[in-house]
Amino acid sequence: MIAIKAEMPLSKPIRRFLSRTEETLDTEISLLRNPEAEPGGTLVDIYSYDIEKNVIIFPAHYIGLLKDFIIAKHCTHLLIKGAATKKAKYLVCSYNGDTVYRGMRQIYFDALKDEAKKDTKLPVKKLLQMLFILYNHFHEDINEVPWNPITNASVYYRMPKIRKTQLYHVMKESKADMDEMMDQESIIPRRYFVLNKAMFYARDMFLAKTLPADELLPTINIPQMKKFNHLEVKEMLTTRWTHTAWYQSKVFGDNMVEILDKHLGLVDWGAEPSIDYYYELYRTGVNLTNHLLAYMTMKDWFVWETPAHLLEAHQKKKEYEDEALKKIFGDLIADS
Amino acid sequence: MAVKEAVELLKKGTSFARRTKYREALACYDKALALDPASAEGWYLRASVLIETGKNTEALVDCEKAIRLNPHYADAWSKKGLALFNLERFEEAVFACTRALALNANDATAWYVKGVSLDELGKSDEAQEAYGRSLELEIILDMDAERKKVRKA
Repeated sequence: MIAIKAEMPLSKPIRRFLSRTEETLDTEISLLRNPEAEPGGTLVDIYSYDIEKNVIIFPAHYIGLLKDFIIAKHCTHLLIKGAATKKAKYLVCSYNGDTVYRGMRQIYFDALKDEAKKDTKLPVKKLLQMLFILYNHFHEDINEVPWNPITNASVYYRMPKIRKTQLYHVMKESKADMDEMMDQESIIPRRYFVLNKAMFYARDMFLAKTLPADELLPTINIPQMKKFNHLEVKEMLTTRWTHTAWYQSKVFGDNMVEILDKHLGLVDWGAEPSIDYYYELYRTGVNLTNHLLAYMTMKDWFVWETPAHLLEAHQKKKEYEDEALKKIFGDLIADS
Repeated sequence: MAVKEAVELLKKGTSFARRTKYREALACYDKALALDPASAEGWYLRASVLIETGKNTEALVDCEKAIRLNPHYADAWSKKGLALFNLERFEEAVFACTRALALNANDATAWYVKGVSLDELGKSDEAQEAYGRSLELEIILDMDAERKKVRKA
């Protein structure tokens, strides 16, 4: 990774927020520009990795306000992790051999149901590869999606001067997230395509209401969902919308919006930004994650464990995948 | 002949700078400027690397040399603004950025540096205006970068 340690101007509110974050957590934060960085930036922190200093990495061409928002968002997330560490324990959604097996097994059963309806079947090898890929995909999503509206709402209330920048970032992120899996729509089981889109739909609906920004409404921002804008009930019943994955995503997504509202509606976003405030945000995130997992019947797919456990799980993921395949398919899977 | 060699050295230096090999970049720029001290671009490029390595006072000197050679060098004025901001000379930074923007109104960095400098001077409304212009331009740059990424993929 080519990283350019940044000698860069920062706007006053961001400089102050960065300082306050370092003081509150008694830690240091470095800023790095990297041409290969993700558009949303990356936080590499001392609570998740065995390192001495936190690093916020952002794209090299983010020179002004675009980088300021990235810094604000990741500082907020750092505060949440740090508060959890200080007040109790910072846990993440991790996995082990048993949970991988349960997840892959469920995906396999759902894939079989879908395959039965198709004329052209998925090659067996591709089907087997897909099981862990999809499981892993949901693991990444569940560690990201519930926290996104929390950090965004907190930044919105605390950093009014970067709201326009935030809106741009959130809209860009929304379009990119909705584009995920599009190439694999015909391959992955319908259920998982729908749930993936539903999670992002719910996030965007919550943010559209919170920021507030109608442009964020998925029925306005996402091309595939525009047709659901202002749909009359009669039109909905007379057209075969219910069979489309995007319509189903909207239905599941609307239910997830209620779940988000239930948890995030209780947060006092303007409260004093103390360790207690960020710890409350952490607990809200954990509760929201659990509720979403229960709704998606994925509760036994993951375990709340330490970040060190997750790092170790990543090291062992091939082993877990192979073991799960052997358990599901028995002797039909040759030893590799 | 010397000028041609200097141009090649500047290209080489820029290639090093893009890969954050700043020591090598500076070595190239030093050689280029020894061959052609009348190269405004050379002084500007060296100033850019000096700023990246935290040597703002030296960078400022180089920016001023570039500007003396070419008073309409927008990028040099912009870089001067940045060096001055880093040195906490905010009034002068605003002046330099304003000069840069008079020459090139599409410099997102100059608008941003002007904004942060105005903020430091307590001129919040003017700062917000500058931030607004900076953001518009940054978004255009970002969308352009995304398009290039898609084309490469």
